[in-house]
Amino acid sequence: MQSANPLLPLKLLVRDWRGGELALIATALVLAVTCVTAIAHFSDRLTRAMHIQSQTFLAAERVVSSSRPVEPGWMEEAAERGLEQAQTVQFASMLSAGDQFQFAAIKAVSDGYPLVGHLEMRPSEDAESRVVQQGPPPGEVWMEPRLLPLLGLSPGDSLQIGESNFTVTGLLDHEPDRSDNLFSMGARVMMHRDDLAATNVVQPGSRVRYRYLFAGDDAALNSYFKWLEPRLTEHQRVIDLREGQPRVASALDRAESFLFLAGSLAVLLASVAVGLAARRYSLRHTSYVAVMKSLGAGRGKVLGIYLGQLAGLALIATGVGLLLGTLIQAQAVTLMADFFPVDPPPSGWHPLLVGLVTGLACALGFALPPLFRLARTDPMQTLRRDWSNPDRREWLGLVLGPTSMLLLIWWLSGSLPITLALFAGMALLVGGSALVNRLLVRGRLAKLGGSWRIALGSLQRRAAFNTLLIAAFGTGLLAMLAMVFARTALIDEWRMQLPDNAPNHFLINIAPYEKKDVQSLLSDNNITATELYPMVRGRLIAINDVPAKERKQQAGALRRELNLSWTENLAPDNRIVAGNWWESVDTDNGVSVEAELAERLNLKLGDQLKFSIGGLEVESTITSLRTLDWNSMRPNFYMLFAPGSLEDFPATYITSFYLAPEEKLLVNDLVRTFPSVTVIELDKIIERIRDTISQVSVAIESVMALMLVAGVLVLIAGVRASIAERLQEAAIIRTLGGRRRLLLQSLVIEFGLLGIAAGLLAAAGAETTLAVLAQRVFELPFTLHPLLWIAGPVAGALLVGTAGTLACRSSVSQPPLKVLRELA
Amino acid sequence: MTAMLRAENLIHRVTTNEGPLTLLNDISLQLDRGESLAITGASGSGKSTLLGLLAGLDKPTEGRIWLAGEEITAMDEEQRAAVRSRYVGFVFQTFQLLPGLTALENVMLPSELRGERNAAGRAEEFLKRVGLEHRLHHYPRQLSGGEQQRVAIARAFCSITGSDGILFADEPTGSLDAGNGEKIIDLLFQLNAESGTTLVLVTHEQRLAQRCQAHLRMAAGEVALAAGRDNGSLSEVSA
Repeated sequence: MQSANPLLPLKLLVRDWRGGELALIATALVLAVTCVTAIAHFSDRLTRAMHIQSQTFLAAERVVSSSRPVEPGWMEEAAERGLEQAQTVQFASMLSAGDQFQFAAIKAVSDGYPLVGHLEMRPSEDAESRVVQQGPPPGEVWMEPRLLPLLGLSPGDSLQIGESNFTVTGLLDHEPDRSDNLFSMGARVMMHRDDLAATNVVQPGSRVRYRYLFAGDDAALNSYFKWLEPRLTEHQRVIDLREGQPRVASALDRAESFLFLAGSLAVLLASVAVGLAARRYSLRHTSYVAVMKSLGAGRGKVLGIYLGQLAGLALIATGVGLLLGTLIQAQAVTLMADFFPVDPPPSGWHPLLVGLVTGLACALGFALPPLFRLARTDPMQTLRRDWSNPDRREWLGLVLGPTSMLLLIWWLSGSLPITLALFAGMALLVGGSALVNRLLVRGRLAKLGGSWRIALGSLQRRAAFNTLLIAAFGTGLLAMLAMVFARTALIDEWRMQLPDNAPNHFLINIAPYEKKDVQSLLSDNNITATELYPMVRGRLIAINDVPAKERKQQAGALRRELNLSWTENLAPDNRIVAGNWWESVDTDNGVSVEAELAERLNLKLGDQLKFSIGGLEVESTITSLRTLDWNSMRPNFYMLFAPGSLEDFPATYITSFYLAPEEKLLVNDLVRTFPSVTVIELDKIIERIRDTISQVSVAIESVMALMLVAGVLVLIAGVRASIAERLQEAAIIRTLGGRRRLLLQSLVIEFGLLGIAAGLLAAAGAETTLAVLAQRVFELPFTLHPLLWIAGPVAGALLVGTAGTLACRSSVSQPPLKVLRELA
Repeated sequence: MTAMLRAENLIHRVTTNEGPLTLLNDISLQLDRGESLAITGASGSGKSTLLGLLAGLDKPTEGRIWLAGEEITAMDEEQRAAVRSRYVGFVFQTFQLLPGLTALENVMLPSELRGERNAAGRAEEFLKRVGLEHRLHHYPRQLSGGEQQRVAIARAFCSITGSDGILFADEPTGSLDAGNGEKIIDLLFQLNAESGTTLVLVTHEQRLAQRCQAHLRMAAGEVALAAGRDNGSLSEVSA
């Protein structure tokens, strides 16, 4: 048997466009694909930018960081595997030039450094900075320009480090792996690795960081690090690209996950709209298929025609969605350019694949089952003149749609638990919607009579669809409200929680010899600072002689080095909750541990902790547990040691103080007087966080807006499914003397009530979300947001009321006689 | 002469909530090429069900049917559809034109479903024969009821590919006024005669039934009266 004219599906597609369902399916598909493609592009470019940035931050592709030199065999093994390698050694040391002395952060670099990225230096202060791929040769040093005046040096002068003399041949403007660790010590001086031994400055116990840099092809790198992994000790760790990324990128990474989740919800809602429209399309086409079958078209041919139509529509809509998504993300990236770690490179083909799969999953998962049902139309219906489309094999629709969405969202989010949580949340929302809907139709509002009775009657008859509608709009409104209130109310509440005159500036990296001068400068300016706390970097390596590795999974803070401190006096925001402060204990190697960390690590009084500090091991006994208030903006520490127990280790000092806006000029004085001290301006950081959240939330709120548009599509699809019924009802009421105004009022009431129900549900959900955010992220007590409970229902009533009434207005505007004749 | 349509001992039952229901009980008939048969009866007498079974739209519970010499009761749905696409044309009471297609495209539809190349030429020819050459590109909503039924008749003849064709008409004048109904019937019989096709029509109108060579009156799923104008092939039908 010959197959049908291949252009027939296209012709039917074009001719049937006026029916409305195909336009609705196409719009929903475009929306879903646009949303996901834009997010995928954004995510792809962000990942690529972070990749570049991370490699640059490492000056290599992978790094082994160690507090002591590693086995020479490791380097030989890397060379045998064809890996490029370089080494850096970093430490703090005193420099001298004539009678001038200055503490500085020294970095000795080997040939080949940097493996990735570049250095920027200039031979003199007046020269232009130039890009170089190699550090200073032996016998020479480059230094940060701010060190020159402190040491009274000019390029070409001699500088002494330890027992060696060097010539200053360049000013260092940029090094790729300059750590963004705020606690690095002093301005940079760069020398050659081969000169290090002769300086004699690195002694046992010196605080030295050895970094072994590697680059090469992925397979060689992977096999080398697989070989290396079992050989690593607690003093060594591998730093890969992920760890190299800056904090802003990591925040964007989280925003990206959130975007995908919100995007998934928009896709879910759009799919529901596709399903409803396809179902309506299938019902309307039952008579067409019955006729085609009576003219000799078999089931396969009918299915071929409609599948061809769906495929054509899905491909066109997906193509439009891919284009729009690409354009939108380009605009979004331009808007958010400041927050990308580097200029983001163009994305690859993966986002387009994500968009394509989304389009197909929506179309096939939700539109295919009604088409399969359509192909099973009984041709005898032409003779019976019965155009119902019995829902035989409805299970296919019930299984295929949710399954395709589950797989899609799993793929998009990369996490099955998140996907299942999302589905469970949606199920909860649908359950809540059903309950709200039930309360709505069982209310006594019908007693108000007239248009209220008609509206309530309509709500009762369409209970299943209304539940879906409340859930769809509830989801969109919930996300929107939670986002807006988290961005505004929660941050304001958090700021209000901070005590008046709470410290807003931190001074860190204060060298011991600068301690007194810093204190004098502050007191001369009538600034009240907190105590100056010493800080020593160390790693917790054992708890009661058991390696701490096993417990480290429970506390992120222990995967890196900790700032260890000691003090005589308990800070005012610290409170002992177990054990005793130093005056009441009889050990001189006691340590006081922050209570929450102790709980996470299951630590108790009397436990023995072993720390590795600069390669040396220190043992302490837990003598007290403390709670503390991180919001006090004072220097605070997980581990506080008894005075005297860490004093042999090189330390820097930290303090914090409040500076009124009119006193900000003091910051300049501090920077000028103490060039190696770092000033952290918290007020600027808070503003920066606020700006970042505002900008990132523009992207997130755009996705939320798409979710609401998807909700409107669900509404239109649902209303269209019931339009014939509504037309008939309206025509009968008008024939019996009902006025058009009465019907319009009833529509406004019907959809207004649905909107209020969705808004109330959204307000409840958003309030719960805010409560969780307040407790988990901002550590704030629960506060009710009355505005939320007003904004939700009002926004819902306006949105659903307007959209619903507009979608249904044709049912009251058509002459009743015409309607009754057509329906007959 | 070879029978164009033959049915033997047709029984058709359906299952309802109240139990099994017999819609047709032991119907047999035979119709030769070019003959016409009218099936009449009250509503619910089983005439449309019989029409559907004879056209291969459904399969009887028992009994056998041959259409153009092929036993359609031994075929699956796809095979029966293939037989319909070659031999069968349909005219429905409510026209059943696809509203999104023009008159020409509606008539082209059977040819396009078969994947024929010159669908437009053939359709235009049939529309000319029903007098609608000036309405080719009009949509059904732009045509009167009589014109829509003419398009449906053109489509029915267009759907028959060879000389061996059979036209099934279900109350073809049911939605038309008397004047238009008369014209449509004239057209139907004229084209039937010109094309040499076999005609089976279901009608309430005795006047229309009398124009057919044979007449089968149904009552409660059984043949109440079988009559042949000239004691020809219909005389073999047993009631």
